[in-house]
Amino acid sequence: MKHSFEVDGVDYQLWLSPCQQGYRLHLRDKVIAPVAFSYQGDGCGVLTIAGESEPVKFAIDGDVIHVHIRGRTRILHYRDPLRTLACADNEEDHLVARAPMPGVVVKTSVSPGQLVSAGAALMTIESMKLETVIRSPQDGVVDRIHFSEGESFERDAVLVMLSKEGR
Amino acid sequence: MQRIASVADVKSQEFRINEVHNRRLAAELKERQRAARFSRPERDLERLRRQNKLFVRNRIEALLDPETPFLELSTLAANKAYDGEVPGAAQVVGIGIVAGREVIVHADDASVKGGAWYPLSVKKIVRALDMAIENRLPVVHLCDCAGGFLPLQAEFFADRYHAGRIFRNQSILSKMGVPQVAVAMGHCTAGGAYVPALSDYNIIVQGTGAIFLGGPPVVKAATGENVSVEELGGAQMHTSVSGTSDYFASSEMHAIAIARDIVARFDRPTKASIDRAPPEPPAYDASELYGIIPKDPRVQFDMREIIARLVDGSRFHEYQPRYGESLVCGFARLHGYQIGVLGNNGVLFSDSALKGAHFIQLCDKNRTPLLFLQNITGFMVGREYERRGITKDGAKLIMAVSGASVPKFTVVCSGSYGAGTFAMAGRAFDPRFMFTWPQSQISAMGAEQAAGVLTHVKARQLAHVGGRLSEQELAAIREPILDEYRERSSAYYATSEIWDDGILDPVDTRNALAIVLSASLNTPIEAPNYGVFRM
Amino acid sequence: MRELPFETILIANRGEIAVRIIKTLRKLGLRSAIVYHDADARTQAIDMADTAIAISGDTPIAAYLDSAQIIAAARKAGAGALHPGYGFLSENAEFARAVIKAGIAFIGPAPESIELMGDKIRSRNFVQRNGFPVAPSAIEEDDRATFAFRARAIGAPLLVKPSAGGGGKGMRIVRDLDTLEDAIAQARSEGQRYFGDGRLYVERYVENPRHLEVQVLGDSFGNVVHLFERECSVQRRFQKIIEETPAPALSPGLRKRICETATGIARAANYRNAGTVEFIFSGGEFYFLEMNTRLQVEHPVTEMITGIDLVAQQIYVAAGRELGFSQSDIVSKGHAIEARLYAEAPERGYLPTTGKVLILQYPDGDGVRIDSGILQGQQITTVFDPMLAKIIVHSPTRIEAAMKAYRAMRDLVLLGCETNASFLARILADEAFLSGQVHTGYLEENPHIAAGNPASDLSAFLATAALMTRPVRESADAVPALHAALGSWRN
Repeated sequence: MKHSFEVDGVDYQLWLSPCQQGYRLHLRDKVIAPVAFSYQGDGCGVLTIAGESEPVKFAIDGDVIHVHIRGRTRILHYRDPLRTLACADNEEDHLVARAPMPGVVVKTSVSPGQLVSAGAALMTIESMKLETVIRSPQDGVVDRIHFSEGESFERDAVLVMLSKEGR
Repeated sequence: MQRIASVADVKSQEFRINEVHNRRLAAELKERQRAARFSRPERDLERLRRQNKLFVRNRIEALLDPETPFLELSTLAANKAYDGEVPGAAQVVGIGIVAGREVIVHADDASVKGGAWYPLSVKKIVRALDMAIENRLPVVHLCDCAGGFLPLQAEFFADRYHAGRIFRNQSILSKMGVPQVAVAMGHCTAGGAYVPALSDYNIIVQGTGAIFLGGPPVVKAATGENVSVEELGGAQMHTSVSGTSDYFASSEMHAIAIARDIVARFDRPTKASIDRAPPEPPAYDASELYGIIPKDPRVQFDMREIIARLVDGSRFHEYQPRYGESLVCGFARLHGYQIGVLGNNGVLFSDSALKGAHFIQLCDKNRTPLLFLQNITGFMVGREYERRGITKDGAKLIMAVSGASVPKFTVVCSGSYGAGTFAMAGRAFDPRFMFTWPQSQISAMGAEQAAGVLTHVKARQLAHVGGRLSEQELAAIREPILDEYRERSSAYYATSEIWDDGILDPVDTRNALAIVLSASLNTPIEAPNYGVFRM
Repeated sequence: MRELPFETILIANRGEIAVRIIKTLRKLGLRSAIVYHDADARTQAIDMADTAIAISGDTPIAAYLDSAQIIAAARKAGAGALHPGYGFLSENAEFARAVIKAGIAFIGPAPESIELMGDKIRSRNFVQRNGFPVAPSAIEEDDRATFAFRARAIGAPLLVKPSAGGGGKGMRIVRDLDTLEDAIAQARSEGQRYFGDGRLYVERYVENPRHLEVQVLGDSFGNVVHLFERECSVQRRFQKIIEETPAPALSPGLRKRICETATGIARAANYRNAGTVEFIFSGGEFYFLEMNTRLQVEHPVTEMITGIDLVAQQIYVAAGRELGFSQSDIVSKGHAIEARLYAEAPERGYLPTTGKVLILQYPDGDGVRIDSGILQGQQITTVFDPMLAKIIVHSPTRIEAAMKAYRAMRDLVLLGCETNASFLARILADEAFLSGQVHTGYLEENPHIAAGNPASDLSAFLATAALMTRPVRESADAVPALHAALGSWRN
């Protein structure tokens, strides 16, 4: 399973393999060797690629890598296979946030039609004298809220139904 | 170490004839392997697509690290069984690299009879798990098995090395601390259900993966209960209710990504320390093996010519070059690993057996794995040889081969007959891995001799009834015996029955041996310890 | 020289222009005060200003359009003058009047001049009356009922524009008269949104014209001079991208004529302070387009070739001084080019981009000037105009200037938010641009410039990203040497 980077909305599969003076870079249609990178501190480095040296400026922000080479800047997103594949084949239109335990709705934080991103608070529930925030499993639009404030529910009950954006 | 000076004349007529012949054999092997791997009725592939399942080969490619080797084992298992309808015994087994770890990959091939287990499927899985135990190799199971093929259950169910052995081996692996990951990509029914259940980690694929002892029809028949596959053993249920599965995957690729992530956490085994140097390619091209292996298997060849095309720099430190010359012994390196090589240059005599037994003990003492290159018709027979103790000396060699603690590897280059098979680390002597070359033959006795003996017996029986037989009548009896004997002593038959771990194109031998050598070193090598040598 | 009548100047603006004004104030020994919305709290202008006063609004833009708050802030800061920069309230006569009424000098023309010349329709009529060339047009205010009818009568193609404002906002080209009503509705709504003024006018759209403009400067003593022209033909959707001076399109004779026309218009309008007279130029003919009664974004190129600090001159004029030079003292020397750095992706239809400025390194060197309002660590949002900075270069010749600008664009490093830097570099190296063959439709006609070559150097980027991403490197390092050496061998 190759690694994947997204650049301008396009996925590029690649793989590094070790070789004498660094690494071999395997792309879909070619192999480039050797490639190596030496850090020079403070967002600077030198990329050696097929015998040529290129000064590189870079900044890393989580899985997003900003790179400046030869007067051009590109933003590359490392697509973590576990996260990417967990969502990729999820063809269902609807996503749900389920109750992790039986409880009572304390507060709903969203309303139907609202755009939410993964991790956004959807509602607060109370169970076992403990307040828990129910968060959106994915980016999407709030479709339906199944319980209103004060209502109680069982474990695994669907609390909020979301639909994927743009559907 | 001295470089072997090859005397092969690559321009000779003989070399060319051999080359044409052996290249044809290699091409035939490749074609048979290709067919066993990929030739499937369209309806079976279509069914996989409909079920949203990947073909087993694609699953394995996705599992493996790109740009790393995969040594597939027993590709042609069952090629002579079940009318050839169960290619590879519906299983794929091999050694590959997952997240940088050497692992055994075991995958059900659902494009063959829905991945049903035939007797040879069971044998292949048991063998894969034996390899895992012997070499402490983690296992990744890609499960997609409809259950055992019931009409043949008597041949795979009850005996010691039958289906139960799979689960016993899995349990032993776990006890040894050798981890297994299973991915339920299809139904894992009946015994098949235990493969994920007995794995230290298992992943189940939403929609297609299911694990249950009895599928919905069995449940219906047994209790009258109507239940769906999802309810009975689907991903949702097993990961959130029963706890039978550990990880929920939304697709096969997701499951494979999880499996890779799990393997990436495995401890890296401490390799047994054996002498190692930087690797060096052989000085002679491996493709010259085609011209060296004689077209006629009865023609003798110098095993040093083979060694020169297998080992690093073609360098060979020959041990006792002037004694027991029918068994070539010596040290060499293969991809940097020091090995001791024993190769046949003729029938085994007392002196060659003694030399071999001595050399094995030397290698065992200095922790040098052993490579046996077989081309052996057997031990010398006759009054004079018995009087000199040929049987006693052969026993010494067998005792040494059996008792050696270092890993052993066997390649059947041409003939492997009689007690020679035993003395040269045949299957029964637990070489860690055993490979054959396409033209090799393995049997208790050579085909000609055996046919002669059998014809003689038959003729005698007939003679009692109807008197003497004409030459023509004798030939009519002899030919079918010879044909069947040849068939059942061929490399294809041996590999069909899983007497080996696969037929190799001779040029692939060096890499295959390097991979298994490396794998074998996961297991610590015990101190030398032998039985009693008859002196 | 007589002391200036004020010590503190309030800047009613933000971003790069605020920074640029503060620089001149410092040079002149004046104190700077600035108003800011919370969204701009951590920007360079706020860091540099002597006093910063927070203002608020329903939206950040609304805050900068709130005259009352701004004038209150100016009072609070004790400002004797106010510089409106460009955009926002810079061409709002009511605002100018209120500033003056509050006893604060407005650094710009008289409110009447803004009313006359800042209004596209009135200025056009005025210019026409004074005998200068204008394009056929229809003005909504003349007769609302017949506006669409009169617009149709001009014939396609047409350009629908809001009477107020500039910067290309709200403009619509109509090639098919059936879409005229829609264009009018959209232009009106955008005019309303950006300038609080929904009045429109329509004029004949000249296909592929060149956009020329002349910088003028007048004082309270009736002196009016020009500081030569600028060419701003490289545009996308009426948004200027690259500006330069002298205009490559003009012969010396035409250059003289257009500059004198502009001076004539300004003089006729009794124009005071800095202003820009814009012209459409096509087929050797030019005609009046509009007048901008403020400092222009692209004013630095004029400063580069004349050596005159326009902001300083604006302040002097506002302080009641007479211009310290006459027309013959102003000499054009060399060639200057300005490239606007935007937070947008030309490769994806100029989509605005956002992010946090993680690394910011501007090019430097002789004849390179950077007018920037951003800082490393700053968040780039879509709240304001996407312009981040201007890169201005000055060289003896146009070709040298283009090369210098090209190198500057390549040396510029801004990581964290996508910009149009490489797009600017592509224009600066484009053959048509280098030979001066550009017009306002140049980028539309050459979509490859915006598209770039997505594949070029991609492997270098992928290699860098791969080598920097720990899981990628780890999976390579994890493979045992033997298996790495065997590669993807299969038996």
